[in-house]
Amino acid sequence: MLWLCIQFPKLPLEVLTRAQRGGAESHAQAVVEQQLIVDANQTAAERGVETGLTIATACALCANLQLLQRDSQREDQQLQQLAQWGYSFTPVVSPQAAGSVDAGDDHFACLYLELSGCLKASGGLQPLLQQLKRELRQMRISCFMGLGHSPSAARMLSQLPEHRQWLRETQAPPSPQQWRQWISFSPSKLLDCDNKTIAKLYACGIKRVSQLLAIPLSEVGSRFGRNFVDYLARLNGTRHDPVPSYQPPPEFHSELFFPSPLDNSEQLLFPAGRLVRELCQQLQRRQLYSHQLRWKLDFGQQGCKVFSVEVSRPLLDAQRLIALTKLQLERIKLEQPIQALSLTCDQLLPMEQDKLDDDLFGKDTQVQRSHQLLDKLKARLGHEALSGVTLKESYLPEQAWQSADTLVLQSNRRKKGHQLQPINAPRPTWLLSRPDKLHSREHKLFYRGEIKLLQGPERIDGYWWQHGRHGRDYYIARGEEGGLYWVFQDLTSEDWYLHGVYA
Amino acid sequence: MSNAENLLQNNQLADPSKQQRLSQLLARPDIWQAANEHKRQRGGIASGFSSLDALLTGRGWPRGATTELLVNQSGIGEISLLLPALAELTQREQMVVLVNPPFIPYAPALASAGVQLEKLLIIHPRGQKDELWATEQALQSGCCGALLSWQGRQAPVDKDLRRLQLAAREGDCLHFHFRPQSCAASPSPASLRLQLGSDGDQLAVQLLKQLGGQSGQRLHLARSADLVRRDQPLH
Repeated sequence: MLWLCIQFPKLPLEVLTRAQRGGAESHAQAVVEQQLIVDANQTAAERGVETGLTIATACALCANLQLLQRDSQREDQQLQQLAQWGYSFTPVVSPQAAGSVDAGDDHFACLYLELSGCLKASGGLQPLLQQLKRELRQMRISCFMGLGHSPSAARMLSQLPEHRQWLRETQAPPSPQQWRQWISFSPSKLLDCDNKTIAKLYACGIKRVSQLLAIPLSEVGSRFGRNFVDYLARLNGTRHDPVPSYQPPPEFHSELFFPSPLDNSEQLLFPAGRLVRELCQQLQRRQLYSHQLRWKLDFGQQGCKVFSVEVSRPLLDAQRLIALTKLQLERIKLEQPIQALSLTCDQLLPMEQDKLDDDLFGKDTQVQRSHQLLDKLKARLGHEALSGVTLKESYLPEQAWQSADTLVLQSNRRKKGHQLQPINAPRPTWLLSRPDKLHSREHKLFYRGEIKLLQGPERIDGYWWQHGRHGRDYYIARGEEGGLYWVFQDLTSEDWYLHGVYA
Repeated sequence: MSNAENLLQNNQLADPSKQQRLSQLLARPDIWQAANEHKRQRGGIASGFSSLDALLTGRGWPRGATTELLVNQSGIGEISLLLPALAELTQREQMVVLVNPPFIPYAPALASAGVQLEKLLIIHPRGQKDELWATEQALQSGCCGALLSWQGRQAPVDKDLRRLQLAAREGDCLHFHFRPQSCAASPSPASLRLQLGSDGDQLAVQLLKQLGGQSGQRLHLARSADLVRRDQPLH
C-alpha cells in the first residue's frame, strides 16, 4: 500500500477567493470564524495577521483588512470536488474535513489517495506527483503532500519538512526501512492526538517518536490509553488503518463564489470557462458525457436565474462548450449583481466508442458540423425557434403535418417500418396557420382582387363523428395577378376561406 | 555572354512563376474571360428546368453564392422553381434551412416533390439582428445545401448582404433570398438576380444580373398542368 496525503492548509480562504483573477491578491484578506482569524492571505500575513488572532488585534495590525466569514459548507463542497478530482487518478480516495475552531481541533482538510495501483499508468511516482501539483495549482488550491504506508503515516509525514524535501526529488517509492526511519525521526508534536496527550509526552521527555517506540507498548497503554496504542500500531503499519472510501456522485456540480458581486455578463466568462474546463477534465477521466449543462446565476437574496446549454452530441471540447455558454449569456440581461455561479450536469452518461465526436485526425464531418450548427442556433435563438416538419396521418389538411423536434434531423439513417406517404393530389407549398376568411360579394370571391375558381371541388369531410364537424369543399383558384390559391368553402357555414398558397 | 542576353535569360526564368500567378488569378470564380467561356466549369446545381439552366452560366443555380429572387406576391410558383433543386440536395443528405418563411411549409406538398423532410430545418429568429446572425451562421457552417431567407420589413443594408454572400461562398451553400421587386433598382452583391412575375398560367423569369454571364433574358416556365387545369365551373 502506498498512501498519499494531500493537505489543504489554505482551503478556508481559497474557497472564498478562488474565483477572483490573479490581481486580487494585492489587498489583505482574512477568514474569520467566531471572532478569530482562521486564515489570511499573503498580503495580510506579511503584515503579521496569522491564525488564532482576534479580529481586533488583526485589524490593529492591518487597517484595511477585508474580513470574510468562514463558510464550512462551501469548504465541504470543495473537498468533495477535490475528492472527485482525486478519483480520476485512483479509485481509492478518502476526503477528511478540517477541524473546527471551537472544538480546539485545528488540523487542515486533507485527501488520502492510494497510489500503488496507478503508478504505472501515470508513468511513475514523480510524474504523478508533478501532475497532481500542477492541476491543484491550476485550480488555485495550495497544498502539501506526504507519502506513507498507511493514511496515518502519510498524514504525519506530510508535516515533516525533511520528508517533503525528499518527496520533491524522489523517483521511486521508499523502502519500509526508510519509512520507519522517518517516523522515528519525527518530533512527537506531529502525532495526531489531542494537545493534552502531546503535553504529557513532552512532560515525560519524549520529544521524538523513536523515544516513544522504545517504550514497551503495555507501558504506553497504561499511560496514554488504549486509543493511543491503537494509533501507534496504525502508524507503524502493524494494524490496518481504515479510512472511509469515497464514491463519486453520478452528477457534476461545481460552484464559484464571488466575494465582490459581478454585474456584467462579460465578467462571467472567465469563471464560467474555469468551471467548464473542470467539467471537461472530470468527464474525460471518467469516460462520461452530458447532454445538458445547467448554469445557475445566484443573486443572493434576490433569488437566482437558471439557464441551460444543450449539446446534441457528446462533446468534451471546453472551447466549444464555452462558446455555446457565451451565446446564452449574451441573451441574458442581468438585473442584479451575481454572487455565485454554479454549473450542474444531472445526467452523466457513459461514453460509447462510436459516439465520440472527434475522430483521430480532428476532421469535422458533415454530420458533426450540422450538430455544431444546431447547438449554436439553439443556444442563441432558444429551443423553440428551431423546428422541422413531418407528415402525419390525417384527413384534415391542417393536421396532415406536424412540427417535428429538430433532433429528427440528426438521424441520417432511414427510419425503418411504416413510412407515411403524402397524399397524391396537388397540395400547396405554403399553408396558412389559420384559414383566412375571404370576402364574397355577388358570387365573387376577393383576395387582393377578385379570384376565380379553376378546379374543384375536392371534398374533405373529416371528424364528423366527433364534436366539431369539418366538412369542406376545396378548390384551386387564381387571383388577378396570377397567384394560385387553395381555397375552401365550409359546408356548414358556407363561408369561404383561403387555406394555402401554391408558391 | 552579353548583358542583354543575361537579362533575357533571367526573364525566361522568372516566367514560370509569373505564369503560375496569372493562372491562379484567372482561376478565381469572379474573373470572366470571354476566350475561356467554353472551358469554364459548370459548377451549378441543376435547377430542374432545362430552359433556365441553359441561361445560367453554371448550367444551374450558382453554388456558394446568393441568388436574389424578386417577387412581389407569393402564389406565382416561386417555391416550385426551387423545389427540384431542394429535393436533389436533401436526397444528397444535405440540410436545407428556411429562415422565417412567410407561411407554414406544408409537409405533404414538399414530400411529394421529393424533399426529404428530415433534412429540412425551419428557424424563426426574432428581430433582424438575430435573423442575420442565424443566416450567416447557417450559411458558413458548411453543412447546409441551401438556405432560403425572406426579407423582413426592414431591408438589410448593403454591408449585411455582402456578408451573407461571403458566408455562402465560405460554406459552399446555395442562398436564395426573396425580396420585393422594389429592391430591383438598388444595387446588390448577389451573383444572380431574378425577377419573378406571373404571365397567365406561366411563371415569367427575367434575369436582372448574372455574375460572369449575360443578363436581360426573359423566360417563361409553365406551371404544373395539374394546377392550372380548368374545370367546368359548378356555380
